[in-house]
Amino acid sequence: MSRYRKFFQTSLVSVLLIVIFSFSNSAVLAATGEELFKANCAACHKPDADMTGPMLKGARERAPNPEWAYKWVNNVNTMVETDPYAKKLLATWGSKMTQFNLPKDDIKAILDYADAYTPPPPPGGGTGAPAQDNSLLFGILTLILAVVAFILLQVNSSLKKLSDEKDGVFRSEPVPFYRNKAYLMTAVIVLFCFAGYKTTNALIGLGRMKDYQPKQPIYYSHKVHAGTNQINCLYCHSGAQDSKFSNIPSVNVCMNCHKSINKYEGPDELKLEDGTAVNGTAEIQKLYDYAGWNPASKKYDKPGKPIEWVKIHNLPDHVYFNHSQHVKVGKQQCQTCHGEIQEMGEVKQFSDLSMGWCINCHRESKVDFYNTKTGEGNKFYSIYEKFHDEMADSVRNKNGKMVENPHRLDSVTVEKIGGTECQKCHY
Amino acid sequence: MKRFKLFTAVAFVSAVVLLASCGRSKDDPGRVYMPDMAYSRAVESYALLDSAKFTNDPARLGKDEFIFYNSKPVEGTMRVGELEPFAAPLEDSAGGLYTISNATKNPMPPLTGQDSVETARLFNIYCGVCHGPKAGNNGPVSTKVGGVKNIVATSPTYSDGRLFHVITYGQGNMGSYASQLSRKQRWMIIQYIRTLEEKPAAGSTTSVAVAATGPSVVKADSTKKAN
Repeated sequence: MSRYRKFFQTSLVSVLLIVIFSFSNSAVLAATGEELFKANCAACHKPDADMTGPMLKGARERAPNPEWAYKWVNNVNTMVETDPYAKKLLATWGSKMTQFNLPKDDIKAILDYADAYTPPPPPGGGTGAPAQDNSLLFGILTLILAVVAFILLQVNSSLKKLSDEKDGVFRSEPVPFYRNKAYLMTAVIVLFCFAGYKTTNALIGLGRMKDYQPKQPIYYSHKVHAGTNQINCLYCHSGAQDSKFSNIPSVNVCMNCHKSINKYEGPDELKLEDGTAVNGTAEIQKLYDYAGWNPASKKYDKPGKPIEWVKIHNLPDHVYFNHSQHVKVGKQQCQTCHGEIQEMGEVKQFSDLSMGWCINCHRESKVDFYNTKTGEGNKFYSIYEKFHDEMADSVRNKNGKMVENPHRLDSVTVEKIGGTECQKCHY
Repeated sequence: MKRFKLFTAVAFVSAVVLLASCGRSKDDPGRVYMPDMAYSRAVESYALLDSAKFTNDPARLGKDEFIFYNSKPVEGTMRVGELEPFAAPLEDSAGGLYTISNATKNPMPPLTGQDSVETARLFNIYCGVCHGPKAGNNGPVSTKVGGVKNIVATSPTYSDGRLFHVITYGQGNMGSYASQLSRKQRWMIIQYIRTLEEKPAAGSTTSVAVAATGPSVVKADSTKKAN
């Protein structure tokens, strides 16, 4: 009997510990909503403010009925002509939203994220502290529960010993807890699971550089240039639309404006990630030193040297990626892959640039398919005859009669035209 | 003794696990599975060249064991689809003569359809940032840069070649845009400027207003140049 009891106790402890450990995964749902939002909506929407489109916070309450938003996201093109509320939205905002093909759960996750969104505290007040606080809380909770469980088990065994003595049953001296096989086994299993989890994650993370944020030779703030001053990304990275690489601008491009702008007088406070204040005027002076520009005589009278910027987004050599293909043909926003670059003081890698991340986007993104009737879209896709047949409104049935196409293809994703073939990117 | 051993073992394992669980710092690029597949052996864009093997000094070309590489196109060659090089040098502007520039004709036809949309896009990105999206001098950084010329106020008196000289070599505060725009794109932008000019001509009052603001802006620019 006591053997069974012991087994029961051990399994109880393991189950308890496993439950505690799996607790830390509850953040996954919120993260998915945030990721989906950033990948699909962030180009035009903000969770708590109006941008190109309305703010997403409370979107479900504003709509005529709670289900409206779920219907809208996947049926923009038809609803904008039929639904009165959609017509009103179009009139207010002036442009139609891109139609998506998202499962209801994803839309719900996005809207839940937007509803629960609270703006991050201003930089300097400890960014990223909330996330750390949470894990610390979970850690302390786990520890307390483990100690309580341990004490209870000790009490239990002492009580049992007392009752056994009362009954006159002889029991050997109890082994100390650190030599108790049940405890040791539990500890070993927990350690094994924990170390295994960590090792697997570390291995998955090999070659991935998400959040990589090296120190650059000059503090160049994308927030000041692309955000406050609204300079188009392509002004400096003009190669992104023409070539495989998105070029790092040469010093002469900086000097186009900085010949005249020699002081930083912007509204934003310049700060490093750790909160250290940056002197913008001194950083512009650094640029002059690199360019060999003498601001007093307004001449290039010193030898210049190139700025050795640190490249942040690195793909392995065995992956082919072409910027122009994505920027010019695919008409992707820079922010889709690089995150909200116009909000970054120091740039960090936003996406993990993993293969799964590439493939996911290729599965979801629709190509600008050529519409044979209206002549809209990219004419290159006119060669995909099979898809054009599948997209036709009516087809000839077995008896030779024209009937409505039962499996009408709505749109063509990148995957359908071979965007997930190995050889497209690895050759 | 045995107890001690067990304790050390447990302490050691937990220390290893704790160390392994530490995140890497944000300026550490991390490690890769297979370095020979991840890092290119060929010379990639922006790769630092080994100065013990490479030289970018044309004077040493073929003279010693160094490999000459300066990432510039071979002299006398042209990219496929690119237009003829501009004949006028920077010095063509000496004395305000622009003789070679003025003699150069715009090889691009007036813009139609998709071309005009594309050129308007280029204009808004590269010129509009100072000169304003419709050349209205209301670009997002125009006041910060200062002394920005109103294009359409002066361009009717400029030949296409003269405008090309300005975009290619810069003028006054404006820098060269040759590194951002191809020759074809620059000629197309000149055609686009010509379409912008036509608008004020429709209403005579607006054209007077533009002409009135024009010279003062030019003056502001010329004082900058004198510095």
